[in-house]
Amino acid sequence: MRLTVFNGSPRGTGSNTGILLGQFLKGYTGTEGNSYELIYLNRVDRQDEFVETFRNAETVLLAFPLYADAMPAIVKTFIESLAPLRGRGGNPSIGFIVQSGFPEPVHTRCLERYLQKLAKRLGCPWFGTAVRGGVEGIQAMPPERTRRLFESFYSLGKDFGATGRFDPQIIDSLARRDSYPADGRSKGITTAQLKGSDMYWDNLLRKNGAYENRYARPYTDNPE
Amino acid sequence: MKIVVLNGNPDQSNTEFESYLKGLSDLLESHDHKVTTFVLRDMDIRYCVGCFGCWVKTPGECVNADDSAQIRREIVNSDLLIFASPVIIGFTSAVLKRVHDKCIPLVLPYLGIFDGECHHPGRYDSYPVMGLILQPESDTDEEDIQIITDIYERDSLNFQTDFVFSKLTTGPVEEIVDEINGI
Repeated sequence: MRLTVFNGSPRGTGSNTGILLGQFLKGYTGTEGNSYELIYLNRVDRQDEFVETFRNAETVLLAFPLYADAMPAIVKTFIESLAPLRGRGGNPSIGFIVQSGFPEPVHTRCLERYLQKLAKRLGCPWFGTAVRGGVEGIQAMPPERTRRLFESFYSLGKDFGATGRFDPQIIDSLARRDSYPADGRSKGITTAQLKGSDMYWDNLLRKNGAYENRYARPYTDNPE
Repeated sequence: MKIVVLNGNPDQSNTEFESYLKGLSDLLESHDHKVTTFVLRDMDIRYCVGCFGCWVKTPGECVNADDSAQIRREIVNSDLLIFASPVIIGFTSAVLKRVHDKCIPLVLPYLGIFDGECHHPGRYDSYPVMGLILQPESDTDEEDIQIITDIYERDSLNFQTDFVFSKLTTGPVEEIVDEINGI
């Protein structure tokens, strides 16, 4: 298989999306003959190249972080640039990976519907959407806390490399659907987990000497 | 009521959209609303780079200064925020999304549980209610409108505010004004 991967993280090479893709691709290349090309969509001045790459691709994986319950603006710009390919025969098959800072899958549900419809609209056979929450801060976590996450993305890639589709069971376990009620809401998130997240931000604020100012309200406290 | 309209039309030759918003804004003004419209395509709005500087370096303000600061200021000090955009490949425009992404300085980095979901607590005491105006593209169907509306309704949860309407430019502006007068 020849896979074209678009990393839609505004952070580009230093992104959490990139780390998860790294694990996925390690699994994917485990099948002999599989190759890939990795494109960073945060090089927004290269839109024309991106479209050409998409046009010539066989299989596309578009991966990005959830921004304001949808795709980051750089990803929407990319999607808009694909307009001329709409309705053209022979568009690549496509799948998506969406990771979020929020832990629960509910935040991504509506976007999943959009992505599946996007594939249909572009005339791209859709092979699946993998969703994973609670990813912000993984670069500061000790290996034992990210081991299972990384293994899951490795397994997703390995299985995909062999079958050309996203395994529904791996998708469910990645989204941790069984940890949440059917509506995907946050039952089970503990006060301790929230505290852990608060501490992460407080540490960064202190490191930058901005802790005292953390509740600043520049648009109401400082009239223009 | 203080109303902010984000005009997310990237194409000034789309005059149908422009005159619809103009008609709406005129009618709102005639009902004594104060309308501030931002024509996003004419403004310098960079992409959010995901640095979180607005949370951990200069709390509440984006570290990459651009015209989005004046939009955020108006939003926080308004009663109603209207997102207006042509539908482009099944979603609102990229230029509107650029502004959307640049709204995270308006909330705190911390997490709380709100109505059974994780969200960031507000940085300000309150936020405007939100409405959405869409101009369908040639292949837009009901499902597309529902998906976009659902995503925007979800985003209103991020600001613990109410999502009050989703309307199409194929309907009369009077209907939107009635809706707004009823808020």
